[in-house]
Amino acid sequence: MKVVLFSESPPHYRMISAIAQSLNADEIIGVSAQPFKFTHRLLQYDKPNDDGLVDLITSLNPDLVITGSVRRDRAVASRVAGRMKTAYIPDGVMVKLNGSNIIVNRGAYSGIALAQVESNLPAVITIAGTSLQPKEMDTKIEKVQLNQGRIKTISVKPTSSGANLASAEIVVGVGRGIGSKENVKYAEELASSLGGVVGGSRPVAADLNWVSEDRQIGLSGLRIRPKLYIALGISGQPQHIAGIRDSKIIVAVNKDKDAPILDNADYLVVADAVEFCKVFKEKIEQLKKKS
Amino acid sequence: MNIVVGFKIVPDDTMVKVSGDKLLLDVPLKISTYDKNAIEEGIRLKEQFGGKVTGITVGNNDRKSIREALAMGIDEAIVINSKNLDVYGTSLAISENIKSINPDIIIFGEQTVDSGTSGVPGYVAELLSLPYISNVKSLKIEGKKITADRGMVSYLETVEGELPLIISVGGEINTPRIPSVKQIMESSKKPVKEVNFEIEPKSKVSEVKPLQVNRKKVVIEGNINEAVDKLIEKLKEDGVL
Repeated sequence: MKVVLFSESPPHYRMISAIAQSLNADEIIGVSAQPFKFTHRLLQYDKPNDDGLVDLITSLNPDLVITGSVRRDRAVASRVAGRMKTAYIPDGVMVKLNGSNIIVNRGAYSGIALAQVESNLPAVITIAGTSLQPKEMDTKIEKVQLNQGRIKTISVKPTSSGANLASAEIVVGVGRGIGSKENVKYAEELASSLGGVVGGSRPVAADLNWVSEDRQIGLSGLRIRPKLYIALGISGQPQHIAGIRDSKIIVAVNKDKDAPILDNADYLVVADAVEFCKVFKEKIEQLKKKS
Repeated sequence: MNIVVGFKIVPDDTMVKVSGDKLLLDVPLKISTYDKNAIEEGIRLKEQFGGKVTGITVGNNDRKSIREALAMGIDEAIVINSKNLDVYGTSLAISENIKSINPDIIIFGEQTVDSGTSGVPGYVAELLSLPYISNVKSLKIEGKKITADRGMVSYLETVEGELPLIISVGGEINTPRIPSVKQIMESSKKPVKEVNFEIEPKSKVSEVKPLQVNRKKVVIEGNINEAVDKLIEKLKEDGVL
């Protein structure tokens, strides 16, 4: 069995490498911009473009294609499946082989449910999460030039703020209920006193730009797994819950004690988000002084 | 301009609940969240360039949702009745039924709120051999040339392409309009073409079960000072502070 891996996100590339290794494939070929050493061969490209990546991956005639589940990965994966006319199963959290049948567990209904999906090979799957770790291999690295496709990239601007939400132990999430962009500073101050970082719901991050776009938590943004998540003024749309479901403890702060987020919270503090930040921060600093 | 918009009719995600080991899916249906943005963008392009907007939906054929799409401003709807189609089957159903329209642009939402695969737009692009731009936040069309910003979470990519092509859009691109009573009344006169389509899927869902997360759901009310003290005490007990 020949497995081809692609992800533009390094953490996802590590996850899919671990999955591929666990399947005992005869040949694992990686496609990446970075010289990772988790596969038998690595085709290293310089600049990404979707068309070129689809051409390259399909030209390898894979039995199984595994990608990450960030946005470009999913765009490329769905097209590879379309060109090969195979099954496309995204967002796997567990993958196993049963002969020439592949079985994938994935979230559905914004993460409320777990679905088991089965397909014959060849197939294309994307991986949302796994705790498996890849081992280093003796990797033959080849540089490749991607075909220029019909869509031309004019510019790429990072939206990165340097915050690492994926590995943060404490995350303070802001929603529209915090009131204004200016009020986000109270969340920042609380997060810094707790040693955590600030993220935001999709409307706040991608639409209103109250926080930078790379801090977007949710179904189509980041899925985080901190020990403590504090949701400030977030009503609890299923798409947001999908991103925080793996948090150990969830605290919601909302003026409305019947906000839907209560169903997914351990504690709901009925309060104004800004007021809460000020008081909580002060008490945390007092605690720090005492200890 | 020949515009096609894809939309999916799904169980209202704000009402889907878990009861014991069952998922309660017998809830009202609606047009999937970002698919409304796709419909809106299609109508805006028609308002700008003229032409016709055809809506296409596969699976649920809920009349109220179809009427809503027509009332928003699509000119006609193709409704494909089918059961148990996967991404492959859905994409085939769509591409087979829109080939003859020769669309200049096909617009989808970037992710539905039920299965959430993001798979159909890219799959259809390959079946029709059309270029594809995913996750479009904003776009500009001049003649055949399209310039689009792709929101990729950690970066923003600006790309250029030529019509005909396929795009997927997210919630940032526009605010979907709410149809007036008059538009709702008039929508009943617009053509709806029903088609049956069945094909053996490439992948099958063998089991769906609720993901159980038992949250404590403790409400802390009252004076903010006391509330925060109580919260800190609880968080210490939980070992997260």
